[in-house]
Amino acid sequence: MLRFDRRMLLNIDWVLIVAVLSVAFIGLVNLYSSTHLYTNAGVPLYLKELTYYLFGAAIILLVISVDYRVLLTLNYPLYIAMILLLLFALLFGRTIGGAQRWINLGFFRLQPSEPAKLILVITLASYYYRKDNGKGFGLLDLAVPALLTGLPFLLIAKQPDLGTGLLLVFIFASMTLFIKLRKSTLLTLLCGGISFLPIAWKFFLKPYQRQRVETFINPENDPLGAGYHIIQSKIAVGSGLIFGKGYTKGTQGQLDFLPERHTDFAFSVWAEEWGFFGSFILVICYFFMILWGLNIAISARDKFGVLLAFGVVSLIFWQAFINLAMVMGLLPVVGVPMPLISFGGSSLITNLAGLGLLMNIRMRRYMGTS
Amino acid sequence: MLKKRIDIAMAIIIFSAALLLTRLWYLQIYRGDEYAKLAERNRIRIQTIAAPRGNILDRTGQPIITNRPHFNVVWNREDSPNPDEVIKDLAKILNEDISVLLDRIRVASENPRYMLTRLKEDIDWETMASIENKKLSLPGVSIEVIPSRDYLYGDFASHLIGYLGEISPAELEESRYATYSSGDQVGKQGAEKIFEEYLKGEKGRNYLEVDVHGFQQRQMQRQEPFPGNDLHLTLDIELQRAAEEAMAGKAGAVVAMEVNTGNLLVLTSTPPLPLQEFSGGRILTSVWNRLLTDPLNPLLNKTIQGQYPPGSTFKIVTALAAISEGVITPDTTFFCSGALHFGNRRYGCWKKGGHGTVNFQRALTESCDVYFYSVGQRLGVDNIAKYANSLGLGEKTGIELEHEKGGLIPSKAWKQQRLKQKWQDGETLSVAIGQGYVSTTPLQLCRMTAAVVNGGTLYRPRMVHRITAPDGKTLKTFAPVSEGKIIGSENSLALIREALVGVVNSAAGTAKVVALPEVLIGGKTGTAQVVHLSQVSGMSEKDIPYKYRDHAWFTSFAPAEKPEIAVTVLVEHGRHGGSAAGPVARAVFKKYFELTGVIKPAPEATPPAAAPDEKDE
Repeated sequence: MLRFDRRMLLNIDWVLIVAVLSVAFIGLVNLYSSTHLYTNAGVPLYLKELTYYLFGAAIILLVISVDYRVLLTLNYPLYIAMILLLLFALLFGRTIGGAQRWINLGFFRLQPSEPAKLILVITLASYYYRKDNGKGFGLLDLAVPALLTGLPFLLIAKQPDLGTGLLLVFIFASMTLFIKLRKSTLLTLLCGGISFLPIAWKFFLKPYQRQRVETFINPENDPLGAGYHIIQSKIAVGSGLIFGKGYTKGTQGQLDFLPERHTDFAFSVWAEEWGFFGSFILVICYFFMILWGLNIAISARDKFGVLLAFGVVSLIFWQAFINLAMVMGLLPVVGVPMPLISFGGSSLITNLAGLGLLMNIRMRRYMGTS
Repeated sequence: MLKKRIDIAMAIIIFSAALLLTRLWYLQIYRGDEYAKLAERNRIRIQTIAAPRGNILDRTGQPIITNRPHFNVVWNREDSPNPDEVIKDLAKILNEDISVLLDRIRVASENPRYMLTRLKEDIDWETMASIENKKLSLPGVSIEVIPSRDYLYGDFASHLIGYLGEISPAELEESRYATYSSGDQVGKQGAEKIFEEYLKGEKGRNYLEVDVHGFQQRQMQRQEPFPGNDLHLTLDIELQRAAEEAMAGKAGAVVAMEVNTGNLLVLTSTPPLPLQEFSGGRILTSVWNRLLTDPLNPLLNKTIQGQYPPGSTFKIVTALAAISEGVITPDTTFFCSGALHFGNRRYGCWKKGGHGTVNFQRALTESCDVYFYSVGQRLGVDNIAKYANSLGLGEKTGIELEHEKGGLIPSKAWKQQRLKQKWQDGETLSVAIGQGYVSTTPLQLCRMTAAVVNGGTLYRPRMVHRITAPDGKTLKTFAPVSEGKIIGSENSLALIREALVGVVNSAAGTAKVVALPEVLIGGKTGTAQVVHLSQVSGMSEKDIPYKYRDHAWFTSFAPAEKPEIAVTVLVEHGRHGGSAAGPVARAVFKKYFELTGVIKPAPEATPPAAAPDEKDE
């Protein structure tokens, strides 16, 4: 199985590596600024994150050393493992901030909803690859992938972590729209989805979730409650002006006005300290990395590679877009981290593994289809 | 096919990036200044620093009131993990009941978390030392230093100086207090209130960077407070002390004035206000209630608010009117048999046996009532009122202090208008000897005396002559204000002065007890009836209840040859002008001439013993 081809080494994707490294560098530099004032004992968070990066690099090496097509056989075992982990987290997990998301492994607290995102991508890519008969998918054909998505969605939404849950739905929607659908199916889905929204609002959202959406629409109504995060984040971003307040000089972040500043609101810290100039550079680097992922998709050697690469791209894109839109006050606060920028081991390693998959696909683009 | 979908995805991604960048531009550039301001407001907290108030000095520059640091125990609940233990320990150190401290904490619990709660004001050095020693076991407890008033001479001149208090919600509404905020100290009475604008200084500002919990992170910028200006009173603290000591235990008033300027040298109202009780800016309800119900009425500034019948001191006015109007000459005599019958009433003289035949000089020196009844009859009430008004009676003197009373000088028109009654001629007799409707304040009588002896100029009394900046530069000086000349001939004024010298210095004078060997003093005694004689008739003097006893007056000046100072004393229910009020004036004169070097200070300091009543009015 470990067929190491010389061409593979020649085809190592340096562009993606440079893009990832520059985003990672920004992330770490920024993490130092947002956490150096934390007084809790133990390893400083930026060093912890650096360790996760090293671990993630090892994962990347592992991922690229195996042909991604092996996932076609591993997808269901992975999926079952994911469901079991989610169940375990729900039943025995550690509760932090009111949500049961964590499994304590001793040296590491695993948040199974993070790898679940990537495993869903793999699962859906495998399923669509196998079932694609070129005639387009009908409504019934979508029942299985919908169920495959629905199960982890429910388990995660139950934690409750609606942000991650919705992310799964976004990934499912993106990948489903990407494969060939019959026109009638597309129309039905569209109408059904729109009519489902009000029902979901009424029956599926918890009161605090509805409140988040409401405060998002009018944050000044509740400046000390749920609207507070949005207001403080907008102040942080806006007060950065053109060139920012200077590294580690951001008042909103350093003085604690910004909540969750090393996780969900890490970008606000960067925007405050580096201004429009720094934010522009980060957004451009980031979206270059994402667009390069699409380039990898288009150049993949087989349809599975295309689907898989597209899935990973949609995973990273949706997280980044939702997070950025949230910290800039364009979306409600939903707790989706920004890959490589927000602190968090599970998220980092998941996303690095996804990027590893992209490298894997890129390296093997000239290999024969088996 | 796939290529087309990838292109669509690419377009969506690029569009999203453009959307986010536009949003960034909108927040950071288009509305950036607005957010920058909000961020500043978030992090900067402005703390005000109380300015030391200006000092209050006497006319020689001797400080009467300064500031001293006041040490308060304050409490920060955020810094204390175990508040109950700490408060228990603290209560022991402060020797205070724990419930008192807990009450204060409860009251303050509505305040923002970063605000300190004051647990005890003005602790002494020892308490502070023991708190500092145990600092480590008292997390959250600290000492706050605030400048506050230091009354170097205790309660001296308390009514004139006044006191401070926390600004009230009603005052905060007033435009003159526009720059104040709640919790500030502000002058509530006396000079502290009237000259608030000069005394207050400018608050300093401390710009602190705080975190989201309001905890101080960094000092940004500090504007030091600017101390208030110094108030130079015309008062002489040594004279004030002499007057207050002489009045100890008596209720009443002492006013001393420079006759040629209107400058007040002494302004004493007893019992004094307990200024120390006010020094924290807050007075205990119990103390306040005690002050309100005290029969000696310490809250009343008797020098300007006490309105008393002037009694025989008013004979100066009647005498001036009589000579000036020509209804009598100095040689006119009347016979005093001890009473005068007018209408169907008997008007008695204080000397029951009568004075016999008296001329003008003797009438004033010995204070013969019958003589002045007769003179009053000839003058009529309106003539007396004319001269009284000219001497500044019946109207406010215009001193800087608030709530001054004007007293009352009756006239026919006044009675008609006020009481809708016709004037009775018999009432003129009472007015002529300063009884009946007549009432005056001690300050008015002092000013009147000054005008009579200074050649006839009526000055507006004043208590501040200069205001200086903290660097010593003079900001404002107050020149004497003349209210014009009094009516009355030079000749009559000279005659009156001569007779008043006799009051103190002649064998039959009513105030011989006042005389000093080195200086010639002139004056006039007075006894003001509080109740009609019939109510106390038949009682021996000792049996009359305190509140029914007559008020004792003495108004005087010195040196007689070239008067410099006028002194007026009122002792409430002191009975006899000469024996009760006279010694107080004497003490003030003695100190005054010691200070000017006319009298060598005697080594002994025994106060002049109140001589036994040789002579009653």
